[in-house]
Amino acid sequence: MTLNELKRYNGRNGMSAYVAYKGTVYDVTQSPFWKEGNHQGQHNAGADLTIMMAGAPHGDEVFAKMPVVATLEEEPLLQQSDASAATPLKERLQIWYKKYHPHPMTVHFPIALHMFSAGLDLFFLASPKVPYAVGVFYTFFVATVMGFVAMIAGVLSWWINYNLSTRRPFVVKLIVATLTLLLGVVGIALYLENPGIVYEASLEGITYHAIILFTGMSVIVLGYYGGKITWGDLSQYDTKTVVSETEEPLSAAAGKLPAAGTYEVPFSSAATMAPVKEVRYEVKEGGIGRPNTISILIGGAAGAGIDTLENLLCDAFKRSGYYLFSTKEYMSRVRGGSNTVLIRISDTPLEAPCWEVDLFIAMDALALEHAKERCTSKTIIVADQTFAQMETNSRAIPMKETAQKLGNVHYANTYVAGVAFGLLGIEPQPLIQSVAEHFKEDTANAAAVNEGCQAGGKLERSTLPALPKADRERSEKLHLMDGTTASGFGFLSGGCNFVASYPMSPSTGVLNFMASMSKQFTIAVEQSEDEIASLHMVLGAWYAGARALTTTSGGGFALMGEALSLSGMTETPAVIYLAQRPGPATGLPTRSEQGDLNLALHSGHGPFPRLILAPGSLRECIDLGYLAFELADRYQLPVIILSDQYLADSIAMIGDVDFSAYEQRRYIVRTDKEYRRYADTQEGISPRGVPGFGEGLVCADGHEHDERGQITEDYRKRIQMASKRARKETGLIAQAVAPYTYGEGSIAVIGWGSTRGAIAEALQQLDDPRLVQIHFAWVHPLNPEHLLFLKKYTHVIVVENNADGAFADRLQHYGIVVESRVLQYNGFSFFADQLSAMISERIKELS
Amino acid sequence: MNHPFDRQDVDVAWCPGCGNFGILQLIKEVLDELQADRRSTVIVSGIGQAAKTPYYIDVNMFGVLHGRALPVATALKAANPELMVIAEGGDGDMYGEGGNHFLHAIRRNVDIVHIVHNNMVYGLTKGQASPTSQKGFTTKVQVDGVGSEPFNPLAVALALKAGFVSRVNIGNAVHAKEVLKAAFLHPGYSLVDIFQPCVTFNKTNTYQWFKENTYVLDGSYDPTDIGAAMNKALETASMPLGILYRNISSTFEQRIRRGATEPLYSIKHDTAQIQGLFEGY
Ligand SMILES: Cc1ncc(C[n+]2csc(CCOP(=O)(O)OP(=O)(O)O)c2C)c(N)n1
Ligand code: SF4
Repeated sequence: MTLNELKRYNGRNGMSAYVAYKGTVYDVTQSPFWKEGNHQGQHNAGADLTIMMAGAPHGDEVFAKMPVVATLEEEPLLQQSDASAATPLKERLQIWYKKYHPHPMTVHFPIALHMFSAGLDLFFLASPKVPYAVGVFYTFFVATVMGFVAMIAGVLSWWINYNLSTRRPFVVKLIVATLTLLLGVVGIALYLENPGIVYEASLEGITYHAIILFTGMSVIVLGYYGGKITWGDLSQYDTKTVVSETEEPLSAAAGKLPAAGTYEVPFSSAATMAPVKEVRYEVKEGGIGRPNTISILIGGAAGAGIDTLENLLCDAFKRSGYYLFSTKEYMSRVRGGSNTVLIRISDTPLEAPCWEVDLFIAMDALALEHAKERCTSKTIIVADQTFAQMETNSRAIPMKETAQKLGNVHYANTYVAGVAFGLLGIEPQPLIQSVAEHFKEDTANAAAVNEGCQAGGKLERSTLPALPKADRERSEKLHLMDGTTASGFGFLSGGCNFVASYPMSPSTGVLNFMASMSKQFTIAVEQSEDEIASLHMVLGAWYAGARALTTTSGGGFALMGEALSLSGMTETPAVIYLAQRPGPATGLPTRSEQGDLNLALHSGHGPFPRLILAPGSLRECIDLGYLAFELADRYQLPVIILSDQYLADSIAMIGDVDFSAYEQRRYIVRTDKEYRRYADTQEGISPRGVPGFGEGLVCADGHEHDERGQITEDYRKRIQMASKRARKETGLIAQAVAPYTYGEGSIAVIGWGSTRGAIAEALQQLDDPRLVQIHFAWVHPLNPEHLLFLKKYTHVIVVENNADGAFADRLQHYGIVVESRVLQYNGFSFFADQLSAMISERIKELS
Repeated sequence: MNHPFDRQDVDVAWCPGCGNFGILQLIKEVLDELQADRRSTVIVSGIGQAAKTPYYIDVNMFGVLHGRALPVATALKAANPELMVIAEGGDGDMYGEGGNHFLHAIRRNVDIVHIVHNNMVYGLTKGQASPTSQKGFTTKVQVDGVGSEPFNPLAVALALKAGFVSRVNIGNAVHAKEVLKAAFLHPGYSLVDIFQPCVTFNKTNTYQWFKENTYVLDGSYDPTDIGAAMNKALETASMPLGILYRNISSTFEQRIRRGATEPLYSIKHDTAQIQGLFEGY
C-alpha cells in the first residue's frame, strides 16, 4: 500500500482507519483511541505517523496490539532521486536515535574503563603485582571492545544528527577515537603475544604501558568534546565572542545603539497657522474666439525615431515663436506597433489634441494606412515616394533616398523635419539651431534639414490653414514640458524627499523624474517590492518626518487600499500620485481614461477623510503637487493626485512660475515628556511629533487607540477618536479650491482633471455664448457652498473620460441635477474637435 | 516588579504561561543593558499576539497592519538613520502575510532588528496553522493535519545572504539574551527567530518540545561560513540555536541616503535651485 492509497482509510464515512508506522500499516478501526479515525483530536488516520511518534507520550508498543494489514510502499509514480529516497531512512534513524541515544549510552563504558585501567596501571607501576597486571589488561580489553561500539554509534550520530559536520570538535573526536581504538588493538596484541612484557623495561613493555596511560587520557578529550557537542557552549556569546564581531566587549557596547541627534525642523508650523497663499487657477491667457492652429500628425513604427522628431520639432517651433502642444499615442486598432505623434502650433495657448489634422507625415506605409481616418480632403499627406499614394492631397518626397544618400536611414527624421518647415513656410533657422544642439557632432543632419526645407518648399500647400502668428519674445518666456515633469516640479516644491514606488505605466515618468532629481536634492528613492510595500514605506517615512510620495496606476493603487486605510487610522500623511489608464485589470496599459475616481474615493476599509486632487493643466500639476504635500502634512491624511496617461505624456507650454511662493512648511512639533500623539483638539488635528525630536514618545497605532496611541476597545474612546478624525474634513473643506469657471451663459459644461484643455478648446470652437466651462481640480471633498452657483444654470452637461460618469454621480450626490453626460471610454482622451461636435449634439437635444 | 522600560497602565492581553512574556522581558532587559535611548528607539509591529509586544514597552511605537511591519520599518530607518528600529511580529505576520517583504528587507540589508515570535501557530485568530507549523499539525482548519512543508526562515534568510541569521528558544532565556544583544549591535538586517510556545493553541510544540528538539551551537561553530550555516539551517530533527551566520555589508539607509544620517524632517529643498532647473525647460 502506498501513502496515497493509505489516505483513503481515514476512518470516516464508513472507511476503515489505517495508520502507518515504520513501514507497516496497522488497522486501528477497532481501537477505542481512534474514534472516527481521529486520535486525541490531534492525529488522523490515513497517514504515516512515524514522525509524529517522536512527540507521542507513549512508545510504539501500542502498535503491537493492532492488526497489521500491509506494508507501506514507495509511491510508484513519485520515484525519488537517491538522495531524497535516503532521507526517510535518515529521519527514521533520527527518531530511533532520539529514543535510545546509543552513543551517550555506550560511550561512558570505554571512557570509564580506559581511565580505570590507566589508574590501575599506575598502581602496578608503583608496585608490580600480578592481580594489578591482570586487572589492567582485562579492563583495557573490555574498554577497547566497547570503544568500537561507541565509535559506531558516534559515527551514526555524526551522520544523522550533524550531517557529517567537519567542525573542529567532530574532527578532533574522530582522530582521537580512531587513534584510541588502534592503540587498543596494538596493546591487546602485545599483551597476548607475551604477557610477561608488563614486567619488562623492554620496547614492548614500555609501549604497552604508554598505550594504557595514553588511552586513559585520550578518552578524557573525547568526553570533553562530546559534552561540548551535546550541550553546546553557552559561553560562546559571552563578551569574548561578541568582541570579535562588534570589536568591543558587550559591556562597552552598552549605550552604542543609535541615538537621535538634535535637529531643527525648517519652518515648523502649527496646524492652526493661516493656510498657505490660496492656490488660484491661472486665468486663461490669449484671446477669446477660435485659435489659429495647424496640426501635424507624424506616424511611424516604435523605435524608428519619431520621438526624436517630436523633440526636435517642438523645440524648433518654440524657438520660432509659436504656442505648441504635443501628444503621443498608440492607436488601439493598430497592429504592428505604429505610433503617432501629434504636434499643434498656435497663436494662443492650447492644451488639447484634435482628431483631424492639417498635415500628416507617414514615415512608413503602415502609418499611412492607420492614420487615414484622421485625414480630411484638405489634409496634406506627405509620404516617401516609394509608398505615397496617388491622391490629390498626397505629396511624395524622396525621404529614404535622401537619407541613404547622406549615409544613414536616421537622417530621414531630420529630413522630414525640414520638409515640415519648408512646407509650412516657416523660416528654417530655428530648426537648424535645434538640430545643431541636438546632434552636435553629426553635421550631416544640418544638410538633411536643408534638403528637406527645399523639398518641402516646393510642395503644393494651398489647402493648409494660414500660418498662426509667431512671436518669439512671447514664446521665449514660456517653458515646454510634459505633465509628468510638471507634476515632478510640484512634488519637489512640496518638499518631497522620499519616494517609494513600484513601476507602472503611465506613472513611472514621475518616479524617473524624482530619481533623477535625487542626484541634486536630498531625496531617498526606492523601488519597492510591490505597491503594498510602496505605500507602507511612504507611511513609515512620514512617521519619521519625511515628506514621502508614491507613484502608481489603478492596478497598483488597488493594492494600496489597506495602507490607505492605515494612513487614515494612524493619521499618518501620505501623497499618492495615481496616473490612470483604462481598466478593469490590465485594461489598455498605454492609453488614457479617468476611470479610477470611484476607486480613489472609496478605497480603504472604514471611513476616514482623504483629499483627491485632479490637475487639468501643467500649472495645476505644479500647484496641486505642492498643495498635496502641504495639506497632507497639515491635516494628517492621505492625498491622492489623479492624473492620467494623456496628461502625463502630453507636452505643452507653461508661463513663469515663482517657486519661492511655495512656502515650505513642516507641521511637526517638538514633543515633551507628556506628549500624546492623538490629543483631542477642536479641529481634530493633533499636533504631530516624530520620534527622536523632543522628549516624548510617538506612539501611532492602526488599532482604535486612546490619545496616547495605546490600543483600546473602550466604546467611548472609539467614538471620541472617530469623531476627531472626521472633524479634520471640516477644516479641509474650508480650504477647498473653488471650481474654475469661464463664460457667462446658461449652460454649464462641467469637467474635472485632464479634460480642462479639451473642453476649453471645444467651447472656443463652438463659440456659443450660452456655454460656460466649469472645471474641478479639487475633486473631493467638495465644498457644498462652491456648488450652489451650479443651480442657476438651466442645463448641466458633465464631460468625463470614463464609462461610469463617476463625477456626475458625485455632483448628483450633492443635489446637482445633471441633464446630460458626455462620456468617452475608447482609450483616447477627448479630441477638442470631436468633443465640440458631441457637445453641440447635446445642446440640440436639450433645447 | 517595575522595569525601566515598562509601559504604564496597560492591560496585557496574553494567556498566562505564554512564551510572549519571556520575550517581552528579554527585549526590555536587552534595551536596558545596552542602555538604549527610549526616544531614539522605535518598534514597528504588525498584527497578532506577538505584535502586541511593543504596546507594553515604553519606547516609540508604530503599530501597523498584519504583515506590514517590515516595509514601514525599512522606510522609517532610511528617513531617520539615527533611530534604533525594531520590527516585531509573529510567524504568520512575518513569514505568511508579510512573506514578500521578508525577502526584500533581507535583500536591502536595512539596519533593523527583526524579531519573529515563532510559535508555529496563529494565536490571535485562535489556532490555525502558520507557515512554520510542522507537518501533521491538526487544527480546526487543517483538519487532516498540515500537509505543506514548513517554512524555513533561516534557510530562506541564508539563501538571500542575510547579514545576521539567528534562532533562539525563549525556554533558554540566558542564551536568547546574548543572541538578541548581538543582533541589536549588528550593523545591518538581523533576524532573530524566537521559538515561543503558545500554551493555548499549540499543544504539540511545547516548552518541553522546544527543549528536546533544539541544541545550542557550540563555540567552535564558525558563523562566517554560509555553507555550514545552510547545513545547520536545514537540520530539522534537532534544530540548532544561536547565531548561524553573520556578515557585514553596506546597509540600505547608507545607500539610499548616500551616507547622510540627518533625519529627513530637517531637510528642505532650495527653491532657488528648483527655479533654476525649471528655467532650463
Ligand atoms: C489582512 C489581514 N488578514 C488577516 C488578519 C487576521 N489575523 C490577525 S493576526 C493573524 C495571525 C496571527 O499569527 P501570528 O502572526 O503567528 O502571531 P501570533 O498571534 O501567533 O503571535 C491573522 C491571520 C488580519 N489582521 N489582517
Ligand atoms: S494564544 Fe498562544 S500566543 Fe497568544 S497569548 Fe495565548 S499562549 Fe500566547
